[in-house]
Amino acid sequence: MSTSNENHTGQGEALLPAVDVFEDEGGITLFADLPGVPREQLGLHVESDTLTIEGQMSPELAGSGEATHVELSLPRYRRAFTLSRELDVEKVSAAFEHGVLRLRIPKASHARPRKIEVQVG
Amino acid sequence: MKLDEIKDRVGALWESVAEGWQHLMQSAAGALTRFKPVQGNPLPTEGEVDDGFYLPSRGWAVLGGDVFEDDRRLVVRLELPGMDKQDIQVEVLDEALVVSGQKRFERESSDGRWRVMQCAYGSFRRVVPLSVAVRADEARAAYRNGVLRVELPKAAPGAPRSLKIEVD
Repeated sequence: MSTSNENHTGQGEALLPAVDVFEDEGGITLFADLPGVPREQLGLHVESDTLTIEGQMSPELAGSGEATHVELSLPRYRRAFTLSRELDVEKVSAAFEHGVLRLRIPKASHARPRKIEVQVG
Repeated sequence: MKLDEIKDRVGALWESVAEGWQHLMQSAAGALTRFKPVQGNPLPTEGEVDDGFYLPSRGWAVLGGDVFEDDRRLVVRLELPGMDKQDIQVEVLDEALVVSGQKRFERESSDGRWRVMQCAYGSFRRVVPLSVAVRADEARAAYRNGVLRVELPKAAPGAPRSLKIEVD
């Protein structure tokens, strides 16, 4: 799996969310920080070997007035990952809580190392 | 793409965003927040992580935030992804809002390796200066979708201060 910055695809600028990626025998687990994104504004797309995470922050500041100090000028996150072929994208599971997305992508069963027990009689 | 190549790829990624990163550092130096390890909640050791940028003793994260002001109140929003509500402390000290807390790292139960580690874990403290006096006893805080929102009524309601200065 690799990450790539695909902000130049004509869809405007987006923030790159920070991620953690854990790999074990069964697959990979990916954590992405997407604070401010409500569940219904989170998008996950798989196209051939590319997984794209997108999220739109919700504008929560109602009423009149002016922001005196703003660091969140880009209200959108986007990050694309190239998945290695041993991963089974059909079986992605996702959880999203407190602005953190957790994705589990298992390895295809044929790609997993198999342990063969040898019995000595 | 092999999983082993991920380190190099992430390295290249950081180089490509370095310009934007520096800009972000300059414009939001206060948003860069240090995360310190907490006893009893160990982070992976360097041997378990393949990310060349990772140091278990030191974590930094940009906690984006904004301050909104109208004639009645200040509203401070701070991005704190992945926290438990009870791990966030909010205080008003003199003319600043102080947000501190701990983001817990949850170990994976299986044997494996951390290929990329960019998220920060541990304890942190962020001070947000307040432009006007507020009634701290009437402040309200809420945590939703990983964003802390603190509403602080103004001690003296009125439009945001603005002073025109003549240029000679």
